[in-house]
Amino acid sequence: MAAVVKVDKLAQSVVKGPSLMTGGYPTKPWMEVPAVFKPGNYAYPTKPEKLEYLNRQQGVSFPNAREWNPEDDDWKLPENWKEIILQGLKDRLDRFRSLKIFMDCCVRCGACADKCHFFLGTGDPKNMPVLRAELLRSVYRNDFTLAGKILGKLAGGREMTVGVLKEWFMYAYQCTECRRCSVFCPYGIDTAEITMMLRELLHMVGIGINWAMEPVSNSNRTGNHMGLTPQAFKGNVEFLCDDIENLTGIRVNPTFNRKGAEILFITPSADVFAEPGIFTCMGYLLLFEAIGLDYTWSTYASEGGNFGLFTSNEMMKKLNGKMYAEAKRLGVKWILGGECGHMWRVVHQYMDTMNGPADFLEVPKSPLTGTVFENAKSTKMVHISEFTADLIKNGKIKLDKTRNSHVIPTFHDSCNPARAMGLLDEPRYILDNVVEKWYEMPENTIREKTFCCGSGTALNTDEIMELRMRSGLPRANAVKYVHEKHGVNTLGCVCAIDRATLTTLMDYWVPGVQVAGLSELVGNALVIDGEQRQDLTEGLRTLV
Amino acid sequence: MALYAELARMLADRQKQILAVWIARTLQSYNSSDFFINSQDRFANPVGMLVRDGLTRVFELLRTEAEAEAFVQPLDQVIRIRAVQEFAASQAVVPFLELKWVVREVLNEDPPANPPTGELHHFDCAVDRVALTAFDLYCQCREQLYRTRIREVKSGRARFTDSGCPSRLADAGTGGGASEKS
Ligand code: SF4
Ligand code: SF4
Repeated sequence: MAAVVKVDKLAQSVVKGPSLMTGGYPTKPWMEVPAVFKPGNYAYPTKPEKLEYLNRQQGVSFPNAREWNPEDDDWKLPENWKEIILQGLKDRLDRFRSLKIFMDCCVRCGACADKCHFFLGTGDPKNMPVLRAELLRSVYRNDFTLAGKILGKLAGGREMTVGVLKEWFMYAYQCTECRRCSVFCPYGIDTAEITMMLRELLHMVGIGINWAMEPVSNSNRTGNHMGLTPQAFKGNVEFLCDDIENLTGIRVNPTFNRKGAEILFITPSADVFAEPGIFTCMGYLLLFEAIGLDYTWSTYASEGGNFGLFTSNEMMKKLNGKMYAEAKRLGVKWILGGECGHMWRVVHQYMDTMNGPADFLEVPKSPLTGTVFENAKSTKMVHISEFTADLIKNGKIKLDKTRNSHVIPTFHDSCNPARAMGLLDEPRYILDNVVEKWYEMPENTIREKTFCCGSGTALNTDEIMELRMRSGLPRANAVKYVHEKHGVNTLGCVCAIDRATLTTLMDYWVPGVQVAGLSELVGNALVIDGEQRQDLTEGLRTLV
Repeated sequence: MALYAELARMLADRQKQILAVWIARTLQSYNSSDFFINSQDRFANPVGMLVRDGLTRVFELLRTEAEAEAFVQPLDQVIRIRAVQEFAASQAVVPFLELKWVVREVLNEDPPANPPTGELHHFDCAVDRVALTAFDLYCQCREQLYRTRIREVKSGRARFTDSGCPSRLADAGTGGGASEKS
C-alpha cells in the first residue's frame, strides 16, 4: 500500500519540525515588515553637489541636498518632512486626475499581482504591483478619504511615518516603470505612474538615487547622460566613421549642428560611446549614407534618453524641451529618433501636453519613399524602425541576409516602444528582411506582454547587480528557452538601456547570447554601391 | 556499485510525496510563496518552475546514484537563482541538506518504510556531497557576479557618473572644461 503522506501538513510543519531553514519563513503581515537596507539592495543616493546644481536650474526643484545613507537609521530628513510629503501628495491629487482615479478604483482583484518581474524574481509581496501601489494608497486613505480619517487602519489607512517613507524608497526603486502590470489590470491602473509619483514625492525631501540624477544633471549641462562635451561627442562619432571605412570601404561624413538640414537625428548617447551600442550607431551611419539622407546630428541635443522621466515631471519636460528647441534652432523639418526606450514613452505619452504641439516642424515625410508618417503628426518624431521598415517595404535599400549568417536572433520587445508606442511589427518586419531565420520567444513574454530587462528607470547601476539579475530572470528565462531550443545566439532589441543591461543579464543567465540593436543587423546586411567590404564574419563587430 | 539499492526502491515508491514536500518547503523560503508553488507555467513563474524542475532532477540523480558531474547542471539551475536573492550563503544551499529530513519524514509516514541503516548513511553522505557541490556553485555565481560588475564598469556600457566620463578625463588634461560648480 502506498503511503498516504499529508503533504500540506508536512510542508506547513516547517517552523515546528527540526529545520535548518532558520528565519527563512515569513510570519508577519506585510505592513509590519520593515524595509531593511543592506549593500546590494539599494542604489546609492544622489551626490549633494548634483542635487544642488539641479536645484539652481529654472523650472525644476530638488531641495534638501545632503549626505545621507540608506543604511543609517537617521536619513537627516528636513524637520517638516511629513508636512512636505502630505502637501506634495495633495497637490498631485489635485493636478493629476489619473492619480486620484488610480488611488480610488483598484478593486484588489489581484490580476496584476504576479505579472511584475520584480515580484517574480524576489517573491516579495511588496513587489506585487497592487501592494506597491498600496504603499501610497494606504497613506492616501488615511489622510485624504473620509473613511480613512475616521477608521484609520480598519479602512486600510496608514499613517505617514519614517518607516513608510523608507518603504517608498525601497519599492519605488524596485519598479522599472515598465507597465507590464497595467496590461493585465481590468481598470487600466498604471502602477508605473504611481511609482513616478512616489519618486517625485521622495525628491521633495531630498531622497533620490545618483544613477538617475547624475545623468539628468549631465544632460542638462552638456546635452547627454555621459556628460560628453560637443567636441568629445563629435570625436566619437568620427571614430566610428573611421571604423566603418576600415570595414566597408565606405567613407561616411556626417554633419553636426548643421542649420537647414532636412532632418535632425537624435539617439541615446550610449550609441556613440559604449559597446554594443556603437555597432548600432555604425548601422545608422551606414544606412543614412546608403540612402543619401539630408540630416544632421546635434551636439547639444545629443541624448535621446530622458532620465527626467524617472525623476520628476518638470525635469522630464525640461530635457524633452531641449530636443525640440534644437530642432527649431537648426530649422529642420522633422526629427528622426534612434533606438531608445523611454525617449519614445516621453515623446508619445507626454511630449504633446508638456511641450507640444511642435507646430514649427512639418509632419514627417520620408524623402525617399514619400510616406507621410501620420502617426507622428503632432510630435513630428519618427522611430528609426518605422523609417527603416518603410524603406525596405518600398525597395529603397539592398539587403543581403547572408551577411548576417553568424546571427540567429530572437527579438526582445523593449517595454517602452512596445507598450507605450505600440511598436511591435516594424522591428519584426526588419528582422524578416535582414536575417535568414529568427525565432520568437514564448507568447506571454513578448509584444505587449514583454518582460522588462529589469534594469530600466535608472536601475542600470552596478551596485544593485543582484537585484538586476533577479528582476531580469523572467526575461532571461525566455531567452534561454529559445537559445536551447533553436540555437538562438543574439538578442535583438531597440533600446540603449537594453543593449547595455541585457548584455550583463545574458552573461549571468544565458552565456552564449549577445545583444544587438536592430540597426546593427541592418548595417551588417546593407549592400552599398562602391563598397569594398572585407569578409566580415561578425558583421560590424569584426575586428580587422 | 549501488550503495543503497533497497532504499532507492523505497525512494522511487514515494518519490511523488518526497518531491511535493521538498519543493514546497524550498519554495516557502520566499515571502509570498503561493504563486511560486501553484503556477505551472514555466515562463510566467520562472523561479517556481526552475526550482521544481531542478530539485526533481537532483532527486532522481540521487536515487539512481548518478556520477557527480551529472548533478552540476540541475544544481546550478537552482543555486544560480538563490545566489542573487537575499539569502545568506547558508540559506541559499540549505534546501539540499533539508532533503535528509524530508526523506525521513516521508518514509516514516504510515506504513513506515524501514531502510537498512547502513544504506541511509550512504544516502546522507550523497546528499552532503550534493550540498557541497551546491556551495561551490554558489561561490562561482557570486564571483561571476562581481566579475560582471567590474566588466560593466570597465566597458563603459553605461558610464553615467564622474568616474568614467570621457570628457572629464579630457578636461583633466587641459585643466579646464565644464563643471556643475561653475
Ligand atoms: S489588476 Fe488593477 S484592479 Fe486588480 S489589483 Fe491590480 S491594480 Fe487593482
Ligand atoms: S510597472 Fe513594471 S516594474 Fe512597476 S510594478 Fe508594474 S510590472 Fe512591476
